[in-house]
Amino acid sequence: MASKFGLAGGIPERRVRPIWDAIDSRQYKTALKLATSLLAKTPNSPYALALKALVLERMGKADEALSVCLNAKELLYKNDSVLMDDLTLSTLQIVFQRLDHLDLATSCYEYACGKFPNNLELMMGLFNCYVREYSFVKQQQTAIKMYKLAGEERFLLWAVCSIQLQVFSGHGGEKLLLLAEGLVKKHVASHSLHEPEALMVYISILEQQAKYGNALEILNGKLGSLLMIEVDKLRIQGRLLARAGDYSAAADIFQKILELSSDDWECFLHYLGCLLEDDSYWCNLALNEPVYPLKHVDYNILHLEDEAFDSRISKASAFVQKLHEDTDKNILRCPYLANIEIERRRHLQGKGDNDKLIESLMQYFDRFGHLACSSADVEKFLDVLSPDKKIEFLNKLKKSFDCISTVPTKMLGQSITLFKIQELVGNMSELPVAELEGSAVQMAEMYCRNLPLSKDLDPQEGMHGEELLSMVCNVLIQLFWRTRHVGYFIEAIMVLEYGLNIRRYVWQYKILLLHLYSYWGALSLAHEWYKLLDVKNILMETVSHHILPQMLVSPLWKDLNNLLQDYLKFMDDHFRESADLTFLAYRHRNYSKVIEFVQFKERLQHSNQYLVARVEAPILQLKQNADNIEEEEAVLESLKSGVHFLELSNEIGSKSLTFNEDMQTRPWWAPTSERNYLLGPFEGVSYYPRENSIKEREASVRRVVERKSLLPRMIYLSIQSASASLKDNLEVNGSVSDPKISSELKILLERYAKILGFSLSDAIEVVLAVSGGLKSSEVFGSDLIDWLNFAVFLNSWNLSSHELGHRADGDGRQPQTWETVNSLLEKCILEKMSLTELSITSPWNNLPVLTQLVTEPFAWHGLVIQSNVRAFLPSGKKKKKSGPSDLPALSRTRDSVLSLCGTLEKLMKWLREQINRPEDENLESFLSSLQKKGQEQEGSGQVFQILETLVSSINDNDLGDQISRALKSWSHVDVARKIVKGKFTVLAELLRLCESKFKMLQALKQQLAQV
Amino acid sequence: MTTIRRFSCNDLLRFASVNLDHLTETFNMSFYMTYLARWPDYFHVAEGLGNRIMGYIMGKVEGQGESWHGHVTAVTVAPEYRRQQLAKKLMNLLEDISDKIDKAYFVDLFVRASNTPAIKMYEKLGYVIYRRVLRYYSGEEDGLDMRKALSRDVEKKSIIPLKRPVTPDELEYD
Repeated sequence: MASKFGLAGGIPERRVRPIWDAIDSRQYKTALKLATSLLAKTPNSPYALALKALVLERMGKADEALSVCLNAKELLYKNDSVLMDDLTLSTLQIVFQRLDHLDLATSCYEYACGKFPNNLELMMGLFNCYVREYSFVKQQQTAIKMYKLAGEERFLLWAVCSIQLQVFSGHGGEKLLLLAEGLVKKHVASHSLHEPEALMVYISILEQQAKYGNALEILNGKLGSLLMIEVDKLRIQGRLLARAGDYSAAADIFQKILELSSDDWECFLHYLGCLLEDDSYWCNLALNEPVYPLKHVDYNILHLEDEAFDSRISKASAFVQKLHEDTDKNILRCPYLANIEIERRRHLQGKGDNDKLIESLMQYFDRFGHLACSSADVEKFLDVLSPDKKIEFLNKLKKSFDCISTVPTKMLGQSITLFKIQELVGNMSELPVAELEGSAVQMAEMYCRNLPLSKDLDPQEGMHGEELLSMVCNVLIQLFWRTRHVGYFIEAIMVLEYGLNIRRYVWQYKILLLHLYSYWGALSLAHEWYKLLDVKNILMETVSHHILPQMLVSPLWKDLNNLLQDYLKFMDDHFRESADLTFLAYRHRNYSKVIEFVQFKERLQHSNQYLVARVEAPILQLKQNADNIEEEEAVLESLKSGVHFLELSNEIGSKSLTFNEDMQTRPWWAPTSERNYLLGPFEGVSYYPRENSIKEREASVRRVVERKSLLPRMIYLSIQSASASLKDNLEVNGSVSDPKISSELKILLERYAKILGFSLSDAIEVVLAVSGGLKSSEVFGSDLIDWLNFAVFLNSWNLSSHELGHRADGDGRQPQTWETVNSLLEKCILEKMSLTELSITSPWNNLPVLTQLVTEPFAWHGLVIQSNVRAFLPSGKKKKKSGPSDLPALSRTRDSVLSLCGTLEKLMKWLREQINRPEDENLESFLSSLQKKGQEQEGSGQVFQILETLVSSINDNDLGDQISRALKSWSHVDVARKIVKGKFTVLAELLRLCESKFKMLQALKQQLAQV
Repeated sequence: MTTIRRFSCNDLLRFASVNLDHLTETFNMSFYMTYLARWPDYFHVAEGLGNRIMGYIMGKVEGQGESWHGHVTAVTVAPEYRRQQLAKKLMNLLEDISDKIDKAYFVDLFVRASNTPAIKMYEKLGYVIYRRVLRYYSGEEDGLDMRKALSRDVEKKSIIPLKRPVTPDELEYD
């Protein structure tokens, strides 16, 4: 940084450089000393002040830095003789930005530009300020001024980009684009264009206005030569022609591209689409396309006459044939797949010939069947075959693989492909159990048999046949789902652990294991594997969905906190630096990237995960501090008493959300975080039902955010309400409780009830009915936690409003909301306990709900009690003034404490019983599920035995050092022990949370005894 | 079967299955975006059927005078798309752009000295080991600086191997 100036802000460089050097080498104390002494010599130099502010900011003294900056700003404004250079301003800008005061930096530049209207450098600084603020209109105005001043192409394009950004953000449409077009046109006439990116922007402006003809004219004219890569130019041409509806010319262009690069699949699809005048792609071409395109685009029946269709298809066939001849290399897949696509198109048009389609598939597999991607390549094509034909194809494939290829790796590849095709053909769920077991056994044997192929590979390289174990796991889980036989499940875990023992880097195994452990209640192990995936930076946005949802309902708060904080930091850092990078794109004249960067930032800002994390992070804080009301109040204060979250809850309905998660890496049984087939009964659904579930997920995220972001405010109000209710009675000449609290709480309760699908009064009826035993808690369904939260907040509202008193029962007794909450908590916790079989070989699916019960409604109710007790107790010098009127309140509080203690004690006892069971006992019952019963050839454990047999008969020569060593170190008992321990870690954490709450309640009990 | 096009920001959201491979580094955002903002022509992605990302290459062009050169920062191919010469295709593209558009003298890249498979592959593509960089990787492992001369370097001066190894602080560019 130090090298960019000569005379710095009017100060000789030799005096400034040491300060920069000190800053660059993080010697902030030295830097501060130097800056202070420089300031003593030049007290009126804004630059010297800016430097000092910069150092102060780096030292973490934000307030001081800001005040020094403001001094500098004042000086700049006040003193006309003061030098106003970009160096001073940009230094101030850095500090202001870091202090989150972009506006102040902008106003400095605005002032400077007003004073020196012809200074290009200052104007660039101002433009930069507007880029940071995403003020597109002001960007445009500033760029136009610069363009007028300097006449440079780049400033014109800056202005045009700013216009496009306005249009994309929904401000101004046609007129603005027309203006941009006019500006460029005029410039072209007098100066032409010199950058390929400038041409691209010009074309995109015309394209946005549907002026395809004009765009083509320009592209085909002199300016077209700016695009040096021929294929790039042709692609644009093809797109413009297609969008203009000139399909035959477009097809010709796409044909040209294919002649230049015959492996371009997308181009082939465009070629064929245009040839057949299929407009479905071009009509749906949105500028802001989804990140994950839908797998199956709806197919429109084409309007072509039969004859025309036939002749076009023949034309395509002939062209593909020519491609085959021209590219005799066997490695290009496109021409082969092109044949299949042509057959598929015929099929969709009702002119298909199954045999021909199968034949073209066979030709493809003949050449590429050994490649790992070959089965995924044909997925889409298999869909058009009838189930019978699929089987026929499968059988043909089996036969053909039997007789070709002698290269072992190729043979292995083909066999794997065969298994995968079997999976795709979709008859897995219909196969008898024994057959499924048989294929798992075959896969495992194949894996073992082919291990020698990898003996000389680097341990970091992928192994031949690596996928087989993932596939074995998929089959075993299918078997588990069907038979509910735990053995298969544990076997699947063992298979993957075994594979990771040999190759510790296989991420596919790790992800599968992570999900198995999550389901199995060993979340701490799941998290361990997640950490080993080394998910960082942007991968957090796309991959963390594998673990985050489970962690949110677990007692592993420390790990959860790290996950949330790392993710939020990544996102917030990006939002902070994104504008700087956008400006970098402006400076390097890569205008298309300017638009891209701004849109990308918006996409991330609307990320559903980001929103959820922003709500969940403070809720976690609230959970963590709920056992100490003072700490909780500090957290609430830092959250501005939950007001912002309330706003979020109000706005969520109208917010657009983005879903950037990569769902393709998820296992078949848990296609989204909301769905897990293993939790339900086996149904003969297709093997890979990855439905397009964005809509469903969007609704669910909105609901979660709307509900959860009400919580901080409701907790805050509940605490207020609980103490205010007593102050009403206790304080003779003190302030009266704020009626606003109870009225606001009532409004929020109404909303909460509405989210649950009820009116407030109906929701109250439901809660009372369940607590009174008139209805079963099953009516709460999957919203159990929310219903209990509702009951807790209802009670606290009733404390200050006494409104439920007016709804007296026939016998005149008012509903005791305290008792309602106590009994609901007890009932639900005990019910969930009784439903959870804590045997080591069961998945403990109710543990997350139990955890939530204790850490949410139970905790919030605990806060209400703490607030209540605090109000009873003498504070400061004031003497307590308890009169007879508060005795009922006192006894209800006592009862509640006792009731909560009782419930918690039962839960803790239950947890301790399990935790204290001897490890060997657990281990034994765990391992016994892996053992095969008697001499049967069926059932779980077959795959496991194959793997174990390999271990007991290692041949070092065959397998090489690395693999032999790994196999020798394998111990399934160690893995079992690890799993048992992993499950107990979660239990122990839950117990710890219970104990902390219990301690808090005990203390309250003692305090109450003194009242 | 391969559509090669410029890498865009949205591709960052789609490359998980490529980057989960532990030999592929996931850089921070400003790293990727700086490359995109400055050298968009040197950052390409290969897409397969169903718009699946098969692999990508990122690089830059830098240097002065006769050391004006293209640089390969990262090239990676997802496991299921290996053995189809995709890396070669991506490398050739970057070499082409360095050669024809930017008129560079050579292309270079760094590779771990222990990464024999990669070194072999680069040699097949015409790269030679120009010099060894001592403890280049996190101060532990040596790196090899491999180069391939382009048409502008008629006498192939840029790839005459250095006799002695260098240390990272002797490197002209980072």
